[in-house]
Amino acid sequence: MAQSEYILETEHVSKNYGDLVVLKDINLKVKKGEVICIIGPSGAGKSTYLRSLNQLEKITSGKIFIKGDLFLHRENDHTVERIDKATQKALLLEMGMCFQRFNLFPHKTVLQNIMLAPIEVKHEDRETVKAEALELLKKVGLADKADAFPNHLSGGQQQRVAIARALAMKPEIMLFDEPTSALDPELVGDVLQVMKDLANEGMTMLVVTHEMGFAKEVADRVLFMADGIVAEEGTPEHIFEHPENPRTKSFLKSVLNA
Amino acid sequence: MKTVKKIAALLGAAALSISLLAGCGKKAEEKVETAKSNIDLSGIKFISDGVLSVGCEVGYPPFEDFAEDGKTAIGYDIDIITEVARRLGLKVNIINTAWDGIFAGIDNNYDVVCSACTITPERKESMLFSDPYISNYQAVILKKGNNKKITSFKDLNGMTVAVQKETTSDELLSDYKSTGTISLEIVANEKVLSCFTQLDNGEVDAVCVDSTVADGYLAKNGDKYIYAYKDETEPEFFGIVMGLNNTALQKAVNEVLAEMEKDGFIKETLDYWFGL
Amino acid sequence: MKTFLKELIDIKNWKKKTKITGIVVLGLFALCVILALMKPSEADMKAQASEEMQELLKKDETGTRKRVTVTYNSLIIINYCSFSSSGANALSEKYVGFAGHIFRADEGAGKFTGQMVNYTYRMLGSGENILHGAKLTLFLTTLSMVIGVAFGTVLALGKISKNKVISKICSSYIFFFRGTPLMIQLFVVYYTLPAVFGFAWRDLFSAGDEQAVYKGAFIAALIAYGLNSGAYCAEIVRAAIQSIEKGQHEAAKALGLSYGQTMKLIILPQSVRRMVPPVCNEFVMMLKDASLVFAISLMDITTISKNIMTSEISYNVFLPALVIYLVITAFFTWIFDAIEKKFSLYE
Repeated sequence: MAQSEYILETEHVSKNYGDLVVLKDINLKVKKGEVICIIGPSGAGKSTYLRSLNQLEKITSGKIFIKGDLFLHRENDHTVERIDKATQKALLLEMGMCFQRFNLFPHKTVLQNIMLAPIEVKHEDRETVKAEALELLKKVGLADKADAFPNHLSGGQQQRVAIARALAMKPEIMLFDEPTSALDPELVGDVLQVMKDLANEGMTMLVVTHEMGFAKEVADRVLFMADGIVAEEGTPEHIFEHPENPRTKSFLKSVLNA
Repeated sequence: MKTVKKIAALLGAAALSISLLAGCGKKAEEKVETAKSNIDLSGIKFISDGVLSVGCEVGYPPFEDFAEDGKTAIGYDIDIITEVARRLGLKVNIINTAWDGIFAGIDNNYDVVCSACTITPERKESMLFSDPYISNYQAVILKKGNNKKITSFKDLNGMTVAVQKETTSDELLSDYKSTGTISLEIVANEKVLSCFTQLDNGEVDAVCVDSTVADGYLAKNGDKYIYAYKDETEPEFFGIVMGLNNTALQKAVNEVLAEMEKDGFIKETLDYWFGL
Repeated sequence: MKTFLKELIDIKNWKKKTKITGIVVLGLFALCVILALMKPSEADMKAQASEEMQELLKKDETGTRKRVTVTYNSLIIINYCSFSSSGANALSEKYVGFAGHIFRADEGAGKFTGQMVNYTYRMLGSGENILHGAKLTLFLTTLSMVIGVAFGTVLALGKISKNKVISKICSSYIFFFRGTPLMIQLFVVYYTLPAVFGFAWRDLFSAGDEQAVYKGAFIAALIAYGLNSGAYCAEIVRAAIQSIEKGQHEAAKALGLSYGQTMKLIILPQSVRRMVPPVCNEFVMMLKDASLVFAISLMDITTISKNIMTSEISYNVFLPALVIYLVITAFFTWIFDAIEKKFSLYE
């Protein structure tokens, strides 16, 4: 694999549905261990951008590099170049993802949820996987819920299981798509704590969030997106204390006063 | 996966218990005594060697019907065809068949059909008939107490008449109706019994059926019905049906039937089933 | 099964409701065993024939024609025996054996009881022919549903497949089999196919087999019913699959699961619970549709009851027919409920 100081890069990533522009020329370079928070009003394209990174959405044009390799290059809804299938699959596994609605598998227990992918996808040894899964559950504070079904857990607990599930694949990058938006306010803290711990351990993270406090405290860099473009980016201090773009200002004013 | 196995086991158990429950009847080795005649059968290919396989819609008493045990076929046709087979030195295997498609099964599923089949010119074009073994007329049955005189089909004018679907009675009355000779309402039923039930319930005024069937019904239910009319002008004949190329079997069957007529077997059987 | 047995043995931990049910079932079972043991023997029943009947029976032994049919039916706790001669002047004698006694059953309540035993026995599929009555109905319905669900799943996956050719083929198949009557499909399989390809269904079995025609017809029926049920089940499975939220696909994809793995491990297991009620419906429909086999010479419960009605001029026959259908339906509804419960444990 090619050497690069960036673990994830996008160049000129755009997406549109017909005339509707969802993403427009987004460029981003992420270093290993960086925590990037993406904020912005709803409909700004934050989730779409995040989801296009691990191929849940197809981009219209642009380039995506993972670990320095040109992962995908598309122009006008046609793939110009893409990495070979095997590498592609391997690189996708480097990205773990957590969803707004958790998307745990309801018919499997917490432990089975976590063990599923390492066994089925990586064909790892069942006993090893189980030990690691229990370790992960301890880490997210749910060691006693190993045999519970997801629907019997609270939203916050489910999201922590979802994080553990993603971590079980030992990804280098974690993508969080509004991980706390579907939670009752009193459940948000536990999830954020787990994410903070993860950041402190040096995990590369891209987080789409409405939790400004979290962004301020944990992020290395904050991206403000509006109408499909990155309107402003910078350190948390820059974005939250000295925003330059009037749209950033008005957005922050509205969320912080709410 | 476990559940699937469980269900499979349950189903298996259910099927087994039902077959145990219902399968207690032992198969009695019925040895049909066969009388070897001097008729030459060497040129005839049977579906099953040494067996005359007979297609029959069992469920048309008194010609063919299941006895109370639900598996022994009895009736006039059964007696006749069993005796024919016996005299040819064959065992008989009655294969119960739906009336629709019964002739399509000849040479595929059975050698002959013996199921109250009327000999008609149209049918003769596509299959062979034996000589007739019973004659039949169209008959009109009324409810007891109805004293209407019927001397011809024209007297059915203005009545509602039940017939069995796609039988000679049905065709005959439909012809009368479509040509405008008489005006009447025809109710066509799947089963003869339905016709008689409708007569009982007053839904129809009369039933038009084969005289042979009427004989059978009235022998058992003489107190309920009146035999109002029998059209002796146009007799029909029932024959045993064979495939168009099976002339050798036709010849053999005819020889045996002639023998049975001669020694009184047919007369005796008619008497037994129809009380004539 | 193992855990079920374990729970069964561990009586102390039975729930109260289970306990009561268990006691009632055991009580009924014990009663049945006692009544079954007290039931008069077959030989005793057959010895009841009057002298007149004995004479006729003796005549049958030497004659070429059998005139008396002896019927003996046994239904666990009760049995029935009848002697009936045929013809215009038919004689008949009927007996019911129950709880150690033999009763005449020529009229009144005895006659009715006898009829019920005889009709039930016949409709359950008496005698040597395995493909008869309730047995036929059950085998045909269950097997064609199994074929239908398996085949339907394949068709459903084909229909939602991204491959346009496969999707079109599967959609057309489903459209064809749902858009034409089962009866005609049955005729086509039984009559048209052999005519076109020059074979006979009975050829699947040896020429000497007296039941070959019925067995062949059963195979044809099974094929027709299986193909038909496949089409209906395909739509059920497709609807169930598509009712699973998109997030499940996305989560599986994000974890690196292939399409096949996603279907097999994530989507299908969750769809099962949603499939059960409509599949149960389809099963009950099929149970009733099984009566169409009369058209190709097979006798299911409905056909036998119609036959009895014709030959005995008795409308009582429909009573046991209804009961048998209800018992079968109840049994399978219970099974389907259990499956549904099993698959919704996690809810």
